[in-house]
Amino acid sequence: MTAETHSAPAQPDLLWLAALPLALFALLAWGLGTYALPWQFDAAWVPSLDVALAFRVDGLSALMLALIFGVGTGVFVYASGYLAHEARPGRLLAVLTLFMLAMAGAVAADNVFLLFLFWELTSLTSFLLVGFKHKHSAVRAAARQALLITLGGGLALLGGLILLGQMAGVYTLSGIVAAGPALASDPRLPYALALVMLGAFTKSAQFPFHFWLPNAMAAPTPVSAYLHSATMVKLGIYLLARLDPAFNAVLFWEATLVGIGTLTAVWAAVLALRERDLKRILARSTVSALGTLTLLIGLPNPGAGLAAVVFLFAHALYKAPLFMVAGNIDHATGTRIIDHLMGLRHAMPWTAAAAVLAGLSMAGLPLSFGFVAKDAMSAAKSEAEIFALVSYATVFVNAIAVAVAGVAAVRIFWGPPEAPRGAVHEVSWRMLLPPFAIVLLGMEIDFFPAIADPLLIAAARAVSPELGTVALSAALDLEVLLSATGIAAAAGLLLFFTWDRLHAVLHRLYWLDRYGPGAAYERALHGVATLAAWQTRRLQPGRLSAYVRLTVAALLTLGAAAWLATADWPELGWTWQPQGWAWLAAGLLIAAGALAAVGLRDRFALLMASGLVGYGSALLFLFAGAPDLAFTQFVVETILVVVAASVLPHYAARPPAPPAWRPLDVALALAAGVGSFVLLAQLAGLPADRTLADWFAANSLPAAHGHNVVNVIIVDFRALDTLGEIAVVAFSLLAALPLLAGLKRRPAP
Amino acid sequence: MTPQSTLLTAAARPIYWLLLVAALWILLRGHNAPGGGFIGGLVAVAGSSLLAIVLGPPQARRLQPLASLPLAMLGVGLAVASGLPGALLGLPYLTHLWGPFGLSTVLLFDVGVFFAVWGALTGYVYAILDSLEARP
Repeated sequence: MTAETHSAPAQPDLLWLAALPLALFALLAWGLGTYALPWQFDAAWVPSLDVALAFRVDGLSALMLALIFGVGTGVFVYASGYLAHEARPGRLLAVLTLFMLAMAGAVAADNVFLLFLFWELTSLTSFLLVGFKHKHSAVRAAARQALLITLGGGLALLGGLILLGQMAGVYTLSGIVAAGPALASDPRLPYALALVMLGAFTKSAQFPFHFWLPNAMAAPTPVSAYLHSATMVKLGIYLLARLDPAFNAVLFWEATLVGIGTLTAVWAAVLALRERDLKRILARSTVSALGTLTLLIGLPNPGAGLAAVVFLFAHALYKAPLFMVAGNIDHATGTRIIDHLMGLRHAMPWTAAAAVLAGLSMAGLPLSFGFVAKDAMSAAKSEAEIFALVSYATVFVNAIAVAVAGVAAVRIFWGPPEAPRGAVHEVSWRMLLPPFAIVLLGMEIDFFPAIADPLLIAAARAVSPELGTVALSAALDLEVLLSATGIAAAAGLLLFFTWDRLHAVLHRLYWLDRYGPGAAYERALHGVATLAAWQTRRLQPGRLSAYVRLTVAALLTLGAAAWLATADWPELGWTWQPQGWAWLAAGLLIAAGALAAVGLRDRFALLMASGLVGYGSALLFLFAGAPDLAFTQFVVETILVVVAASVLPHYAARPPAPPAWRPLDVALALAAGVGSFVLLAQLAGLPADRTLADWFAANSLPAAHGHNVVNVIIVDFRALDTLGEIAVVAFSLLAALPLLAGLKRRPAP
Repeated sequence: MTPQSTLLTAAARPIYWLLLVAALWILLRGHNAPGGGFIGGLVAVAGSSLLAIVLGPPQARRLQPLASLPLAMLGVGLAVASGLPGALLGLPYLTHLWGPFGLSTVLLFDVGVFFAVWGALTGYVYAILDSLEARP
């Protein structure tokens, strides 16, 4: 029985971990009140590679930081309740803390390499968080999918950022944005932008990478509420918004953002109708919201920038609570399938109230902050006079958002209560306070705009510098309210009431599962495994003779290619110089060992014969004036022979193949022997460059206080190399131990 | 395992200690004469391997200062740490410093190499021998 299978009764109370995000949030609030933005910090790290610890916090970064620490505080409180009966909650919360700090670093970084570092760190920690319940293979697959897609996109992002940096001549985001308009004619710009967008689209789950986010719902709910609604998936959006002022006039950039954003928003909204799992429905609607954000950033007018920022903020403040509501329901009832959830308002009144408030905000009805957001959005779009398709699309997307809000907030709580399944009861205050606090914060800001308006305006100016001073919540427009929002709300209600019928129709479209990008990902993954298996079978058949044959043949081919490609080879420098009896003895030892190995059939005798070759070489080193090398060779050879000799009897001997004439092997062996001889002879003909050797010999004693030059080189002159080597040796053991432990379980052949 | 020779069983421990003393001596003389942490570590591995083959890996493990993997990691850690004093004085990382009585960060580095080699290679040897024990 492992620790995971039974819930440990007495887990440590981890509520105190919420103190860190709370303190950081308070620090941020204090800083915003005291110091004017932007805040900058710059310290050298690797100057030769343009890597610097450069941070810059402007309005947009501050807004993201407020979300990261604010929602983070709620999530940590929530998690301390949610994980109370899970095994090892400390592990999850430790990684969650690391994620939070990586996220904060990513939105505060100005140096592009620093951004990349934090970006990938969020991907890595997200892998660990999604895969927390790693005993289930579906969870592992989801974690791997999220990792491969976001890390792969991160590599594209790195390429794009380096290209942008080369073009701009500066490796800071602020520098690239400042130089941006001047880069418009650079032929490399489309490639750089395509790579950056690839990175952002994978992170923010844009089409065709939208499939990883619903699958990542395998994560524990606090993780989904934090990473998959409020923070990590917004990182791609953040980067697009950050770079938008520079490339606002580039058609490729704008058109791709609007196109992909619209496609993602609509498609994810349709797919939401196919789901029955509450968390997956919310995840699909999050993807839809992310698509809307991409679309808004792509729109060229300043109002769209404002709308994007407001919507980004509002979305986090209603989606995180909705995820928490889903977690509460899962916690209390043990299911998230909406067909099994009815009339929960009697058993869980407080959760129901939080759900209604968050649902109101999501549906974009008046009262809530979401209304302001949607208002700003429709104003932005009418101002841009962009093609009608986009506005139809957003009305459709908004309608589905209304329907999803209805499902999450109304459907499961109202209606006739189901027959009581066990004791469905309200969850603890730790799982109720955070969703209430976050959703009420959203509404509070709606009624008291003075709190958040300055921050939102500052953030919007970072996206659209030409934006004037506007009072955000003063922009209530009755006409807009009646048109776009009204239509969306009406259509949303219609969708809500026909949800089950629509679901039945859409669910039957099985080809979506078979040919979608998610299926393509599975096929690609399977293809990689098949290819690896095929080439492993070809290259590593498991017979030692085959390995030797392959290795020697490959070496000979490479050597021959180099030989043919080089025009002027040095004269053969080899001449017969009598070196005394000692050399002759060593040479004879090697020759005897080699010849014996060819003729012997017994494995022990073979091992000893090959040991002779090693000892002969060691003797040769000794006489050639390399005692350290000789010493090492002796010891290594001894350990190898002794350990091999004690292991050999335990392996069943394959009966030796009967002696046969194998011309190919003879040819290979001869070619290898002659080739090595010619190579060495030619090396001997080259004039020896003794600069380094002389320098080491001259400086060993005065500079490094050592007579033994070899050891001084190892521990002093090239100490960094040695450090790398011993680290490799030590860490290779870490990798080898589980493999060698696997030998144990395998039955003897 | 295969039947053991009494002679070998009796001699294994003395030989091990002898080899270990030799290994330390090789380690310490290394800066001025053939030897050093790497070769010294290998000699220690030879001693531990002998012990493991004759008396079994658990016995060999017991006579080490630490289990193999921690020993290897300690070695790498010592080598990493030996570069810090120089770096703290503003010199490039791994610039070595010398104190009285021949003590130096070089020695610390070499001891690190010794432990890393000893720990890592014995780890391999024991794991291979362990896998044999489990065979029917």
